[in-house]
Amino acid sequence: MEIEEILSFLQRFAPFRDLPEQVLGQISRRMEIRYFRAGTTIIEAERENSHFNIVRSGAVELRIGGTALNHRLGEGQCFGYPSLLRGDRTRNQVVALEDSLVYRIDKDNFLELHAAHKAVQDFFHADETRRLRRAVESLRSSRETGGGQMQLALPVRDLLRRNSVTSGSPDMTIAECAKAMADADVSTLPICGDDRLVGIITDKDLRRRVLAHQLPYDSLVGEIMTADPITLPENEQALAAKLIMSRHNIHHLPVVDSAGKIKGVLSANDLLTRLGMNALHVIAEINAALDAEAVAVAAQKLEQVIVHLVGNGVDADHVARFVSAIGEAVHIRLLELAETELGPPPVPYALIVFGSLARREQAGGSDQDNGFILDDSYDAIKHGAYFSGLAQRLCDGLNSAGYVYCPGDIMATNEKWRKPLGAWLEQYRGWIENPDPDNVLNTTIFFDMRGLAGKTSLVDQLRSQVLEWSVANKIFLSFVARAAAATRVPLGFFRNFLLEHDEREGDVLDLKHQAIAPVVDIARVHALAHGLPQVNSLERLAAASAAGGMSGEGEADLADCFEFIRDTRFRHQSRQITAGDRPTNNLDPKSLSGFEREHLKDAFKVIQTHLDSISRSHAGGIS
Amino acid sequence: MRLAVPSWISGRLWRRRWEQAKEKAAGTPLEIYYRASPPAEDVELDEVAIIALDFESDGLGEDAALLEAGWVGMDLASIDLSTARRERIRARDALQETAVTIHQITDSQAAKGRPEKDVVDELVEKLAGKIILAHFAQIEAGFLNAVCQRQYDAPFVGHFVCTMQLEQRWFPKERAADGLRLGKLRAAYGLPQYRAHDGLTDAIACAELFLAQLARSGAKDLKLSDILMRG
Repeated sequence: MEIEEILSFLQRFAPFRDLPEQVLGQISRRMEIRYFRAGTTIIEAERENSHFNIVRSGAVELRIGGTALNHRLGEGQCFGYPSLLRGDRTRNQVVALEDSLVYRIDKDNFLELHAAHKAVQDFFHADETRRLRRAVESLRSSRETGGGQMQLALPVRDLLRRNSVTSGSPDMTIAECAKAMADADVSTLPICGDDRLVGIITDKDLRRRVLAHQLPYDSLVGEIMTADPITLPENEQALAAKLIMSRHNIHHLPVVDSAGKIKGVLSANDLLTRLGMNALHVIAEINAALDAEAVAVAAQKLEQVIVHLVGNGVDADHVARFVSAIGEAVHIRLLELAETELGPPPVPYALIVFGSLARREQAGGSDQDNGFILDDSYDAIKHGAYFSGLAQRLCDGLNSAGYVYCPGDIMATNEKWRKPLGAWLEQYRGWIENPDPDNVLNTTIFFDMRGLAGKTSLVDQLRSQVLEWSVANKIFLSFVARAAAATRVPLGFFRNFLLEHDEREGDVLDLKHQAIAPVVDIARVHALAHGLPQVNSLERLAAASAAGGMSGEGEADLADCFEFIRDTRFRHQSRQITAGDRPTNNLDPKSLSGFEREHLKDAFKVIQTHLDSISRSHAGGIS
Repeated sequence: MRLAVPSWISGRLWRRRWEQAKEKAAGTPLEIYYRASPPAEDVELDEVAIIALDFESDGLGEDAALLEAGWVGMDLASIDLSTARRERIRARDALQETAVTIHQITDSQAAKGRPEKDVVDELVEKLAGKIILAHFAQIEAGFLNAVCQRQYDAPFVGHFVCTMQLEQRWFPKERAADGLRLGKLRAAYGLPQYRAHDGLTDAIACAELFLAQLARSGAKDLKLSDILMRG
């Protein structure tokens, strides 16, 4: 017997709609229906919980434990499960916002369902941020299997770079193996016995298991190798290799034939090079361009590179790095061409870039942000014309290549951003020692700096001095932290469009300013507070965690959010480009799938938590 | 809110009907139902077990053929779907045409159902010790009585709660002619619209409406007599 209305309801929502009908029938016959008047508390925080809940009609609000955050759940959305999965007390309070009909399943039945179905596990991953990580993976693999120019569908045997494979045997000494690796210039050595792969050693193993323990070099390699390593059949697709590598966090994967004989070792780099081939071609074309026009022609292909990388399921961080590498190549080549025209620079100088390109986090549709740091021997009267001409050529060339003029005039053509190191130092000192609360937001971009060309040590000098000042200046830090915390992530926005009948606030989600910038801000605050020389946000977060500025878990969470949001942006841009539009950062929330919305919400919650946290640690006292 | 005790339930009158029916039912499966003592009228409502019940039939009269019975158990807080049942009943005679068009149950489908007696044997056993909830419960009360007379030659006496009557009683106001229909009332409470119209769906729909009515009334410490259908 089917309870028809319940069954057809479940069939409309993930993860239930992915379950067999017979299972849904069982679930529906184990459910309980409750009704809550608007304003009643459905679940208290810090209590034992024994039920999993689904909103059937109405709306409920989740009040995130210990914060002012809340988020709203509508028809088909679930709550009360994290505590069941953790086997712990509830963390959040749930209140009915409207009169709500709620379906419930008791703990045992829910856990049974969860244990039995992968779709359910994937959906209710205990930790919200790990849900995010899985979301990224599954989005990517669905994309990968979805058609297109499928380099990831190639069998891995086609990706192996070498025809012959260097291998060792378990009875070789460590020294013999190391020599074989050095001779063949490989970082990984498969160990074979009787023609079958029995183990593997890597550079890292030699460091960690041999050198660090002062193991005699004549020990047998069999003692230190990783026995029975994860292998990949040669006819498996590149996609499988990629998933295994990311799942197990390994960078080298032995490829074997059906008899278990080693065919080669596939490295993450081989894979990435193959996937980024387009990007590398474009960079080569830029480097070979003979004039600014040819640079611009090559740079126009950036958009196709984004589509290609996204289509091949390359993660957002690598897409951003490829996109940034193209941007970097354009800058460098334009300067080379200008120097060829104008002659060598009369005094040393460095091209400094700010913002996303400095962080290697560029996406499509970026404008330019640059300046020149001139050697202190610069004399305006003698050298001024040269650098002004150089700047003009650079900035015009960038504009033609698609990196439009900076609306804020942060360009080397602006005398303010073309000056000797001493003047740059004065500039930064002013920002740090006399922070102007109204202007802090406009200056943060300058704290993400990288030297791209010329005497880049000038940029390093500037950065280390700036960090020295910033670490010592709590007032400045508090202003920066406050400015960061003031960027509210759009939690409320989501709350409103979550429910279709309650759609009124804003039409677009600005991914750059509302989602990406807050993470960049958080990473920057940590860098300035701890004097970290890193510029890339993920590297800053990792360094902040190593320096004790944030927990390892917090770092991993935030890194996942950053990846997910940027992935969403790149996929959005890829769709725009494919449709013949210019890539932007503005997303129509209606174009998001329920899945993406769910995870964006999770990401926003994590980001908000970190904004609150930096505001507590650094903005204290004056906020 | 304290409501007057329905006249027909007060005291001995109802009790006498119950005892008479119990005597008549001796030796039939209905005996099991009467063996459980009925909930007392002044019992706290949260101790009462409820069954929401709906019959589909080919007419409204005493002699109408029952086509389907749907029921689900509940209490003041929740509806327990593990007790949900939907039983098709084999037609005694050819179906009357209107029922066929309304319920889309054809003769051949109905013929696949179980014999009426089997279904009713099971139902009355489930009803033992419980009160019965229905929308326009007089109909269900009439059907239950008629089918018990038919199968066991004994009347059915029970405690009924009618969501239609509760709505009138608790939230009196001017309404459109069809304003008290189940679907209209549910919509007014923001409850989902159900497309199916089988006995079970209607029983669940009624049970949900009852929870919504209780929530809106805000009444605390209700006693059984506060909600019982008044004859």
